[in-house]
Amino acid sequence: MSNRAARNLFIFGSLFFFVIFLAFTYDTMGKLDQRAPEVTNEVNAGKMVWHKYDCIGCHTIFGTGSYFAPDMTKVSDRKPKGYLKQFIMDPRSVNPAAAMPKLGITSAEADNLLAFFDWIAKVDTNGWPPKPILAVAAGVGGRELTAGQRVYQSLGCSNCHAINGIGGTSGPDLTRVGSRRDRAWLFGHFKDPGEYVRNSAMPKVEAPDADIRQLTDYMITLK
Amino acid sequence: MSIKYQSQKIAQDFFTFAVVLFLVQVVVGLVASLQFLWPDFFFLKFNIVKTLHINALIVWLLCGLMGATYYVIPEESESELWSIPLAKLQFWATVVTITAVVLGYIWAGINPQANGTVLGTLTLNEGRKYIEAPRWADILIVISVLVFLFNCFMTVLKTKKWTGIQGVLLGGLTFLALMYLPGMVYMKSMVKDQFWWWWVVHLWVEGAWEIIAGALLAFMLMKVIGAPRHALEKWMYLEVGLVMFTGILGTGHHYYWIGTPQYWLWIGGIFSSLEPIPLLVMVWDAFRTTREARNVTNRAGLYYTVAHAIFNFVGAGLWGVIHTLPEVNKWTHGTQITTAHGHLAFYGAYVLLVMSMIYVTLPAIRGVKEFNPSRAFQSFWWMTISMVFIVLVTTGAGMVQTYMERLMGLDYVTVKATYNLWFWILRAIFGVGFLIGVGIFVVDYFRLGREPMPYVSPAPEKA
Ligand code: HEC
Ligand code: HEC
Ligand code: HEM
Ligand code: HEM
Ligand SMILES: [Fe+2]
Repeated sequence: MSNRAARNLFIFGSLFFFVIFLAFTYDTMGKLDQRAPEVTNEVNAGKMVWHKYDCIGCHTIFGTGSYFAPDMTKVSDRKPKGYLKQFIMDPRSVNPAAAMPKLGITSAEADNLLAFFDWIAKVDTNGWPPKPILAVAAGVGGRELTAGQRVYQSLGCSNCHAINGIGGTSGPDLTRVGSRRDRAWLFGHFKDPGEYVRNSAMPKVEAPDADIRQLTDYMITLK
Repeated sequence: MSIKYQSQKIAQDFFTFAVVLFLVQVVVGLVASLQFLWPDFFFLKFNIVKTLHINALIVWLLCGLMGATYYVIPEESESELWSIPLAKLQFWATVVTITAVVLGYIWAGINPQANGTVLGTLTLNEGRKYIEAPRWADILIVISVLVFLFNCFMTVLKTKKWTGIQGVLLGGLTFLALMYLPGMVYMKSMVKDQFWWWWVVHLWVEGAWEIIAGALLAFMLMKVIGAPRHALEKWMYLEVGLVMFTGILGTGHHYYWIGTPQYWLWIGGIFSSLEPIPLLVMVWDAFRTTREARNVTNRAGLYYTVAHAIFNFVGAGLWGVIHTLPEVNKWTHGTQITTAHGHLAFYGAYVLLVMSMIYVTLPAIRGVKEFNPSRAFQSFWWMTISMVFIVLVTTGAGMVQTYMERLMGLDYVTVKATYNLWFWILRAIFGVGFLIGVGIFVVDYFRLGREPMPYVSPAPEKA
């Protein structure tokens, strides 16, 4: 091949592939709106807050960003709003060991962020993040779950709490909670955490008393 | 070795600025790595420290490439630059803009409320990775790059002497400038925001910058070993052609999970898997030309050039391809595997590229016949061994993270704080090793040609 031919191959080949790329881009732009809810003013304001505090400098969103802090794509599916708002505004009031700094976010800004997270969670991401394939029931290896453990699972307590190393870290570790708290405290705390712990970020447990009792029984066994 | 045209001296200004920023970049990188152990360790938070780390990186690489171009253009078109004062002005304008941007990041880091909105854009930090620079700075940077390109094109137009190397170099730089623009449009949808953001990030490092690397590789091989231009340019066209044929549609490997249609899984998967091919051709090209090299005066230049070709392939090609298929990327996306790849790719492809251009051109700029390359070799091994271990350590951390968090479903923070703790400690230790290497390089940069040679071997000078 002559140098001239090689040069032409480079130039025209590149243009060729760029045109194809542009065509796909055009097609994609037309499809994006059906794959996500409408961007309201609140969502957009929340996005601006996200940029203003440079959240991407620590977090990923859609898996893109920095790897210092958890991904935010499905955060509003995992955690209740009240908790998230308190955490965003003052992380260490929720979890004294939090690495996230208090950034000075206002209440209005936090509300917009939550709207933004809701929007993000509803985007069709082709199934990302994938469900863990090896996820095992918290604390059980092939054993039958007790009634209390089943309630614990169905209420999503492990999003915030860990037992034996499995589960979230934003609430206290419950591996030995039974040796710290008694039945009455646990039951009362489940009905209204704020009554027992000032500024508690734990949501009230919305379940029938029978379930809460079983949950309490389970907690007492954790020693 | 000496320069033929006085205007080539301007390259040195850019190199010096680049070298200083390189030092800053690695110091703050080390701080960032310590914040994985102690989040409150520094007066700035992790996000700002990391912003400084990657912005310093991008800016010093760009300054290095601009300096390199100011050296190559007069040589290739056999004339002085169109305007030396304009180049000087452009240099100082760049320095001032960058300094202002950095001060802005620090200010916004100390007081986030200072990062207010004017005309719908944030004034100090745009909060978008790599392109955090606010809009006013974007505009100044674009003007600076346009002035730079104008000066180069006018030089070539003046002499009407187009060479392949120079054409591809300027083509790559023009593409680079154009691909900065999609990052400057505000998108209300985060999906569209990330879509265009990847145009900048991906089409830079896997498009424009690789084109520039291809042209500079050919230039360096020609300078250091006197390889014939004809064959070099043909292979260069082939390499940069393949970069574009695979890399443009390869952008799809970033459109798997951000809310874009499913067909990108196919496009991205297929084309990005082919991206290592041109990088392998570059390695082969480097070996092909250097095999017959005898009596090389600039051994440091040769060493760095070949190392650049090899590590470009390993860091970008191999460490890129391992996580580029959708079925793998689904699990590794946004983990420490990405960090590992990012580091080895940038180090191999562009840090070593700019450093080799410095070692190839600086002796001529400073008018030294021959220089002692021992410090250059020392810094190379300190940096390269440390970087390889930083990358192996973060790859390990990424594998543990992928398994524990993504496959088993453990919490992100648990994995980071317990299972990965030792990886963070090791990364910081190897970071110190890397900093030592950079220190040696900085000393070498400022001393090269300015101290008496202990022993000058009577090597014949190459034409
Ligand atoms: C300096 C780094 C840093 C910055 C900046 C940062 N975060 Fe965080 N964030 C963290 C870390 C680390 C965690 C994990 C929990 C912990 O240890 O604090 C976290 C946790 C969170 C959580 C709780 C997630 C969960 O599942 O419980 C939310 C919500 C959150 N961040 C939102 C934000 C938002 C919104 C911003 C921007 C306004 C932001 N973060 C900025 C570091 C950061
Ligand atoms: C959104 C996060 C979140 C969820 C969901 C959550 N918790 Fe909590 N939990 C917390 C926080 C934060 C605390 C610490 C403040 C407090 O004690 O009220 C806490 C405290 C506790 C305590 C007291 C621990 C101690 O040692 O003082 C127990 C017990 C507990 N939670 C159990 C549960 C159970 C059972 C569930 C499921 C029904 C649950 N939590 C759901 C966040 C959460
Ligand atoms: C010199 C060339 C390259 C450089 C400098 C480079 C650099 C990077 C960087 C810095 C990131 C992280 C971006 C972020 O901050 O989110 C990244 C991501 C990625 N790169 Fe590269 N890269 C190069 C070439 C390649 C090649 C050739 C491939 C594939 C064959 C590749 C595959 C990927 C993939 C798949 C990701 C996404 C990772 C994820 O899903 O989190 N890269 N690259
Ligand atoms: C020339 C050498 C280096 C280059 C080219 C480089 C490049 C980069 C790039 C491109 C990123 C952004 C992508 C990412 O987040 O992974 C990054 C982030 C980072 N770098 Fe470096 N870096 C270098 C040296 C170092 C050193 C010596 C350290 C310290 C040990 C370091 C520590 C970090 C840390 C901690 C992050 C943040 C990663 C995260 O978000 O989890 N870097 N670097
Ligand atoms: Fe890419």
